[in-house]
Amino acid sequence: MSTPDDDFLVVEDLHAGYGGARVLHGVSLTVGRGEVCAILGPNGAGKTTLLRALCGMVKGRGAVRLGGTGLLGRPPDAVARLGVAHVPEGRGTFLPLTVEENLRLGAFTRRDRAAVQADLERVHGYFPVLRKRLKQQAGSLSGGEQQMLALGRALMLRPRLLLLDEPSLGLAPMVTRELFGIVRSINEEERTTVVVVEQNAHLALGIARQAHVLETGRIVLSGPAERIRADEQVARSYLGYRV
Amino acid sequence: MAGFAQQVVEGMGAGAIYAGLALALVLIHRFTGIVNFAQGELAMFSTYVAWQFMDAGLPFWAALAITLTVSFTGGMLIERVVIRPVEGAPELTMVIVTVGLFIFVNAAAGWIWSFLIKDFPNPFPDGALRAGGVAVGYPTLGILAVVGLVMGLLYLLFRHTGIGLGMRAVAADPDSARLVGIRVGRTLALGWGLAATVGAVSGVLVAPLLFLEPNMMGGVLIYAFAAATLGGFDSPAGAVVGGLVVGVAETLAGAYVDVVGSDLKIGVPLVIILVVLLLRPQGLFGRATVERA
Repeated sequence: MSTPDDDFLVVEDLHAGYGGARVLHGVSLTVGRGEVCAILGPNGAGKTTLLRALCGMVKGRGAVRLGGTGLLGRPPDAVARLGVAHVPEGRGTFLPLTVEENLRLGAFTRRDRAAVQADLERVHGYFPVLRKRLKQQAGSLSGGEQQMLALGRALMLRPRLLLLDEPSLGLAPMVTRELFGIVRSINEEERTTVVVVEQNAHLALGIARQAHVLETGRIVLSGPAERIRADEQVARSYLGYRV
Repeated sequence: MAGFAQQVVEGMGAGAIYAGLALALVLIHRFTGIVNFAQGELAMFSTYVAWQFMDAGLPFWAALAITLTVSFTGGMLIERVVIRPVEGAPELTMVIVTVGLFIFVNAAAGWIWSFLIKDFPNPFPDGALRAGGVAVGYPTLGILAVVGLVMGLLYLLFRHTGIGLGMRAVAADPDSARLVGIRVGRTLALGWGLAATVGAVSGVLVAPLLFLEPNMMGGVLIYAFAAATLGGFDSPAGAVVGGLVVGVAETLAGAYVDVVGSDLKIGVPLVIILVVLLLRPQGLFGRATVERA
């Protein structure tokens, strides 16, 4: 028996690609409200394309519904206004602007000024390092700080759905662990639904409830995160590490 | 010495006009990466609109208000109709499109209002403020004040409003801007509208000095290019400082360098453009973005 909360994000038979190149060949999955879902898989499997199709950056066929509202066919700015925050590959930082301006831009579509101000404080709470750098140009931050800024910017939307594309990319292991810890506490404290795409399967499985393994545009394995982590065969063939 | 100061003041008056048009150029370049060769012609067209309303009997300031509104709408419309279809095209395509727009607007103005020169009233009173042997004409003061005001309003818009922040975000990274929910197309149109409005101000300021005719802005555009290059094509403040420097340099060269005189004055902006591009391509105020890998 599935409740509306179990089917918060529904992806059905999603096909997507760039021009003539098809990348996703019929991906289906559901994510429950307040859950963290990990998308794993090797390079070129279509993980990034899946997130881009969810947020409208690439066109897709099939169906994507968030809380019953169809997302496909909407441009990215409209999807953002529906409460989907995407931290893209490369972090999407506005480099010439200050840290504070970047954070405020995360709340661009919101009109509840007092709540935005409160959320700014909340983000500072998660990322104390950003508070010290508010007036600094975002381009001058280190990679880890920029990833925190990107996550902070996404939180400023008060997202219903948070999409994270390879948050560990280019970061030192310690910074990555810290970052995933923060994602976990955001999820636990705010019940934010998260879809995280990661090459670092170990970390992603550590915070996810469900996981899907994507290979050449198809889901080849789905299940509870701990089961996938425990499956040695899976670990070796898809996740590229030994348990 | 008073003669020299006098020349500097005259130069600043001219420079403020170049600054106005340079501001419009910089606005569009910052948002879209496009160098709008038609900016001067749009300003000229706006000036004709103002003339038309005054000819119909409206007082200057009422005609100006209508003109600014028309220019803003027209600028947005041009972005939607002419620029949008070629958005993201290579630079050369953009240059050709704006040059085409230049020719079209120029011809349209000639067709509607003829190529005969028209008188355009000066909104500022005659006479001058005298101090220490230097006479500053009220029109010059007026021009400086108006350009300063425009500059201040733009600063407030960009630094202290949500719309301005959104515009800067689009200028910095349109893809990320979409991801935070900014309607990028609408913002770009807004940028064009804003630039056309600022350009209209410079047209209305220059018309009383030059007579109104369809080719009025040709020379001014070249000076504005020099000003924008000097100040940095991404810096509104740079455009204003650049405009003033170009204006003063042009006037001083005309007055004190015999070979230049009044005939070769138009060569001054070319020299400035060349020297800046050689020594400091980003301009005096152009920022090289700080970026850590």
